[in-house]
Amino acid sequence: MRNNSFFYFLTLNLLKEKRRFVGIVLISTLLIFLLSSVLFISSSIKTTLNSSLKAQPDFIVQNIKAGKVAPIKAEQVDKIVNIYGVNKVTKRVYGRYFFDDKYSALIVGVDFLDEQSSKKLVKIMNSVDLKSFLSKDNMLVGQGVLSYLKSHYYATNYNFLTPSGQMQKVNIFKALNAKSSLISNDMIIMPLELAQKVLGLKESELTDIALNVPNDSEWSNIKAKLESLNFSTRVVSKKDMKKAYENLFNYKGGLFLVLYLIVIATFSLLLYLRYSLASSLERKEIAILRAVGWSIKDVLELKFLENIFLVIFAFVLGSSLAYIYVFILGAPILKDIFLGGANLKQFATFTPVVDYSVLSTIFIVFAVAFLGSVLIPVWKIAVTEPKEAL
Amino acid sequence: MVTIENLNKFYEIDGQKQYVLNDIKLNIQKGECVILKGVSGSGKTTLLSIIAGLDKPSSGKVLVNGEPISKLPDMHLSAFRAEKIGIVFQNFNLLDGVSLLDNAIVPLVAAKVGLKEAKQKALNALKVANIEHKANKTPSELSGGEKQRGAIARALVANPNLILCDEPTANLDIANSLSFIQTLKELHHMGKTIIVATHDSLFEELDFKHRVVEISQGLLVDS
Repeated sequence: MRNNSFFYFLTLNLLKEKRRFVGIVLISTLLIFLLSSVLFISSSIKTTLNSSLKAQPDFIVQNIKAGKVAPIKAEQVDKIVNIYGVNKVTKRVYGRYFFDDKYSALIVGVDFLDEQSSKKLVKIMNSVDLKSFLSKDNMLVGQGVLSYLKSHYYATNYNFLTPSGQMQKVNIFKALNAKSSLISNDMIIMPLELAQKVLGLKESELTDIALNVPNDSEWSNIKAKLESLNFSTRVVSKKDMKKAYENLFNYKGGLFLVLYLIVIATFSLLLYLRYSLASSLERKEIAILRAVGWSIKDVLELKFLENIFLVIFAFVLGSSLAYIYVFILGAPILKDIFLGGANLKQFATFTPVVDYSVLSTIFIVFAVAFLGSVLIPVWKIAVTEPKEAL
Repeated sequence: MVTIENLNKFYEIDGQKQYVLNDIKLNIQKGECVILKGVSGSGKTTLLSIIAGLDKPSSGKVLVNGEPISKLPDMHLSAFRAEKIGIVFQNFNLLDGVSLLDNAIVPLVAAKVGLKEAKQKALNALKVANIEHKANKTPSELSGGEKQRGAIARALVANPNLILCDEPTANLDIANSLSFIQTLKELHHMGKTIIVATHDSLFEELDFKHRVVEISQGLLVDS
């Protein structure tokens, strides 16, 4: 057990070389900050994608015309409902509306009278008075849509230009819950019939039909039955959607990998410098300590404590700054790099998700490599006869 | 106090043994002051380093207070150095960026002395070395003579019985050298065993009881 004179000397040593230590801490903090930021962003994206995938139906039935997705007849719903093993069949009308070259929003038509459809929206809708909402042509808008419309002086309503060239005026009823902005930031929710008008669909037409099949083992049978409904029917399963998400994420993962490699290269350089510095600057100091009665164990303990303090300080500072940068400031610059693709534009802010296992792995790898780069040369110097270095 | 038996130190170069110390036999009594005299490269610093446990002999034995120090494991040897031996180096070897007071504390940290007691002992040692007025100065703010006094204070702080000085006046002017010799005299009167390795002629005319041992090419000329 060390006494207070040892810790006094430890503090003295840290203060004595504060310039060098501040430099090391700054570089280490920057590296930890970058690694943690990337980790936080990827964890947040993964979690959000997984949760949005969870909310997806087991199957989506679409109509394909000339190789493109075309509106599907609403009458198909009745046929699907009659397939044994199928439940939660939902009519879906949605489409992206382009306000201008730079901004678009996803219009989602909801059959508010249908329990299945409206139930899913409970989380993202603030207690909406349905009666009043359905009494006129109203819409609920995400925070991103709201700020876009306000910046263009549409504070109360907006005139949508339908594909047939007509204007469809829709009132802004309410903004969607800000807490759910991750998935609803660029979303517009309106009654199904109104969405059909805005998106240029006939009353008998839907974008697609969603359904669930509770029994997993029946998925392939049901899929075959759904595909046999019509020669132009396309059935997309949750597994297909998961693959699509993963492909998209893996593509983005390449950028993460490049960043990781840069950070690792910089870290290696830091360790090399630390290793070299230990050899040249600390050689004499260690020899003096040994000459006046410090044992090898004493020297190693001093250097270990000195550097573990730096490691912990840099790690806590770097990861805390990364948390603030990603989850409070919204990761400017890095966000553009990772979410630049249109398909991921729905990420307005990142849901705070901290993967402790990966974070602790970063700490362990960082701490072991850093301490190794210090303690190995220190040990080498300490075991040499002090006379050699004096 | 210090017994050296058949001590050899050599380096093998191309299969040939190059002797730095050759069959040294020396006995130093408690309270004795021994001046190891010799030209540069004669082996006196190596002998001093081996007595201090800073270097290992190729063969032979060194007993300090009856302890075969070259055979002690690191933990024991370090503790022995911290508590029983005080060393004053030619180039002072003070830690840069640390005050004289804190430099004097360093051996006590190894000896696990509490901070309050360590500071008190360090101040006393600085007083004995007549440098307490510079206790808060770092080595870079001190002259050569002041650094030497700081080094003496560090050597004395644990109240060791054996003081080893390696060319202590090599980096000092005449006035500071004479002052160092005066301090040495005081330490001698305090009953410390002192071994000084030097080639400085000032040590030939010491006005207190001492023994001169000459080393030449690794061999003791007179003892």
